[in-house]
Amino acid sequence: MKNRLRPYYPLLPVFAAYLVLFLVGRNVTGMWQLAATLVFYCALGQAFNIFLGMTGYVDFGYVAFLGIGTYGMATAITGLAGYPQLGLGIVAIGFILAIVMATLLSMAVGAVALRLRGAYFAIATIGVNEGFRYLIEGANLWNGSSGMIFTAQLNEILGRDLSSRIMTFWADVMVLFIAAAAAVVTLLYMKSKIGYALTALREDEDAAKVMGINVTKYKIIAFITSASFAGTVGAASWALKTPYVFPPEVFEIHYTIEAIIIVMLGGAGTMLGPVVGALIYGISKYYLSIFLPGFQLFIFALVIIFIIVMFPEGVVGVIKGKTRNTAIAPYIM
Amino acid sequence: MKSFSFKPFVFLIVCLFFFSATSAFAAPPDEIVIGHPACLSGKYAKAGEQAVGGIEACIHWVNSEYGGITLDGKKVPLTYKKYDCESKKENVTSLIGRLITVDRVDVVFAPYSSGLTLRGAPIAEGHSMLYMDHGGANNKIFEQGFQYTVQTIGPATSYHKGTLDMVKKIAPDAKKVALAYEDSEFATMVMEGAKTHAEELGFEVVFERTYPKGVTDMTPMLSAMKATDPDFVLGGGHFEDGQLFNRQMSDLNIDVDCLSLIAAATLPAFYEALGNMAEGVMGPSHWEYGVTYSQEAAKEIGTRWIGPSQDEFVSLFKEAVGDQDMVPDYHAAEAGAQVLAYVLAAEKADSVDSGKVRAALGDLEFMSFYGTWDISDSGLQVGHSMVDVQWQDGKREIVWPESAQTGKPCYPMPTFDEKAEGEKALP
Amino acid sequence: MFLEQLSGNLVQGVVLGSVYGMATMGLSLIFGVLKVVNVGHGAFVMVGAFVALFFFNTLGLNPIFAIPAAFAVGIALGLTFYYAAIRKLLHAPELATLLATFSAGVLLEETIKMIFGSEFRGYNWDVGNIDLVFTALPMSKILAALGSVLIAVLLYVWFKRTRAGSAMRSVVEDSQGARVCGINVDGVYAMSFALGIGLTVASGVLLTMFIPVGINPYMGGGYTLKAFVIAVLGGLSSPYGAFFGGLVFGLIENTSYTVFALIPGVEPFALTRFLSFLILLIILLIRPTGIIKAK
Repeated sequence: MKNRLRPYYPLLPVFAAYLVLFLVGRNVTGMWQLAATLVFYCALGQAFNIFLGMTGYVDFGYVAFLGIGTYGMATAITGLAGYPQLGLGIVAIGFILAIVMATLLSMAVGAVALRLRGAYFAIATIGVNEGFRYLIEGANLWNGSSGMIFTAQLNEILGRDLSSRIMTFWADVMVLFIAAAAAVVTLLYMKSKIGYALTALREDEDAAKVMGINVTKYKIIAFITSASFAGTVGAASWALKTPYVFPPEVFEIHYTIEAIIIVMLGGAGTMLGPVVGALIYGISKYYLSIFLPGFQLFIFALVIIFIIVMFPEGVVGVIKGKTRNTAIAPYIM
Repeated sequence: MKSFSFKPFVFLIVCLFFFSATSAFAAPPDEIVIGHPACLSGKYAKAGEQAVGGIEACIHWVNSEYGGITLDGKKVPLTYKKYDCESKKENVTSLIGRLITVDRVDVVFAPYSSGLTLRGAPIAEGHSMLYMDHGGANNKIFEQGFQYTVQTIGPATSYHKGTLDMVKKIAPDAKKVALAYEDSEFATMVMEGAKTHAEELGFEVVFERTYPKGVTDMTPMLSAMKATDPDFVLGGGHFEDGQLFNRQMSDLNIDVDCLSLIAAATLPAFYEALGNMAEGVMGPSHWEYGVTYSQEAAKEIGTRWIGPSQDEFVSLFKEAVGDQDMVPDYHAAEAGAQVLAYVLAAEKADSVDSGKVRAALGDLEFMSFYGTWDISDSGLQVGHSMVDVQWQDGKREIVWPESAQTGKPCYPMPTFDEKAEGEKALP
Repeated sequence: MFLEQLSGNLVQGVVLGSVYGMATMGLSLIFGVLKVVNVGHGAFVMVGAFVALFFFNTLGLNPIFAIPAAFAVGIALGLTFYYAAIRKLLHAPELATLLATFSAGVLLEETIKMIFGSEFRGYNWDVGNIDLVFTALPMSKILAALGSVLIAVLLYVWFKRTRAGSAMRSVVEDSQGARVCGINVDGVYAMSFALGIGLTVASGVLLTMFIPVGINPYMGGGYTLKAFVIAVLGGLSSPYGAFFGGLVFGLIENTSYTVFALIPGVEPFALTRFLSFLILLIILLIRPTGIIKAK
């Protein structure tokens, strides 16, 4: 019995962290919005880690998937505002649309960019993000640069009280569930054939190919999974939490950078890494903005360079190395 | 046993949370607190810095000159609690959450820009907290059914109305107008308003294009605009593109009778960057030094006056930012005026309860150095009118509306060749 | 009228393109030798713009004098950054260098902001306008273009004719082989990185000669993205390729507007941006070595 559950131990610290975040957010005054922000960073990191951490490919245009997810939810709400009988069903439709659109985009991007490696891949994905944004603005898709503001429609469908609860509470809870689901999927992938194939790929892609591993297939699986999680994060954390969407904001490259920093801080390719990275990043950012307003970017840049040079394997990477063969080892992955 | 090793880690986080929570009880009950997730760094740092200076200047005035807010016969001082939101939306929500529940502020001032204002609105609304918008001009914010959100800044659609009125009045022969704005949520809304008003006045819109955010070269668009031979040009969007717009019009020798650019043209940096090339260029502004709003003017139209005179405001602002060379622009003025609106409304309601103050704000009409104030039922600012300024001999003159003029407009403005020779735009 | 505009835009495109090309050579040089993508590229361009601004507004000197000064500033920055971080990351995964160069960019932006503030500045160097039949060009732009061409030629000569240049070329070809042949590969890395940053900072001066306004600490972002497209057009690892890539890019950006403007209901300017990124993807897909054969 114990041994059968043992592979799932790494989920324990992750879930414990989420539970603590939730409880602190609920019970300590003034902490819910901070907890929500931290959960957003956790979800962002967990989702990104599925691709970046497992394959070592740096997707610089990752935010595009959050953006398209936001548009998915926005389309559902604005398009179906005339059907109040849908009730909460509209949120479900929005999520489905967000996932479908993110998946389609990731398939299109994957078909092109996943043929490339290293820096070429990173540049291609930046190109996708920027190009897509300019397509929306240039061809006036979804209202072009004017964007969509749909708090009124959400109020109309769900009523003022419920939609207010969604914006200030339930949207954040949904992000928490997405983060947890991403953690479970990460674990399942790591324990399955996909994980082994991707580890081989990360170490040496050509050797993996020679060994007969269908690297392209597994890369695409990880890419699409990661992208559709990003779509749901965008739908919940951007479209539902703040019902508006302006193209330059949802395709803002800084979110990709933040995701990279989170994964890197915590340790790329580890299970617990994104959570640790998100907590360190989010909390320190929050207190820097309170105690040293105006200087946080400067301090961050210095700290990040220091960490990359000194601890390239991230916090969890270091802990993992230190705790090898100890009793804690099964919990850290 | 094994999982115990995680305890210190979890414990640490909990401690951090509690550490911040304890400050909740620091605020004594005998002060009124304005909370503000200000944009002190990041992309809106420029406007954010101005807004903070304006707010601090007016709070200083309220406490030292006005004596505080009179509630229940007692004078209560105002205090200001600000954090840096880094111009990012994630920080806006967490900081507003903190301001409302930990710092227990009495009113929240929104961060700069329509996007960030929208980001914070549901949180403030969810806590039934008064949320005052001094930097989000998008009209649609006030079509969402928010109940506690009110606007001090005027709506985007009215930015270029005054300029069009002016041209109509002083140059009845002008027919062709070209519109070229930044492709952003704010500027396209200004453009929409300008287009509607231009057509109402019987102008012919010969060119209507946008250029992307962060543009570094506008030559192709401006060349196309040149070909339509407009009489006057309205456009702009932000700061750097406005400078580029003017510069490249000059590079391409596009001479028009009047050029009016939103955001950029009214700032001192605009003239500093462009020099003589900026002569005669106009820009709409919510406020400029030299406006004629005063206690006497208020008496004339029979409305209430509050706040420092504009000279007092300028010196208070310089004191607040600790820089004698920094001059307040309209971002400072509108944020400062918002403090005054809150003071009057709280006194009128005799309470700091958000609902009561919101109701009082709805009935409020007054004048300050920033101009007049009146909001519609949805919270949209309808009482404030904008002024149009023009660069004349290196100084910003208010040329429109006629009632607020500090100088006559120069129309048509000199050509770029004449300006290169050193000619000034004088009426 | 259509043709008139198109030819006017062609001329503008060539002038603009040569400056863009020069502004990308540093990026390509660094990638070519060290296989490091400088994501903070635009911030270094911004530093150059501030050098020009300082020379003109504070010292009252012609921006042309700012070019060597900016180059020196760039060399110093490049060496510092190379020995502080890049050197230790050469064998780390891409992720590390991407993040490190990005952070370096942020560091520069915030430092410049602390020194000069976040105001949008500009300077006015008026050396006259030239009126062509279908368009007008200020002399300062033409000088910027000529300066770019001159720097590109100098770099070419330096590469072909000096020992250091040929050492650099051999590292690009085969770094293992070069090491075996007794070339100080680490020294070449440091030199290339410094040279690349030097070129980038110097290009910031040329860009302000082209567009002398809107100078502020955060102006670099747009140039980073443009530089990526241009570098890919030129094959990513060749500085001359980048120069010609810049020319092609300038032409695309200027002429496609005129074509897109014929489509009703769209924003042609945004579509030119879309087109440039589309081209980037297509080239990466069918010919990652770039469209210009230049070695």
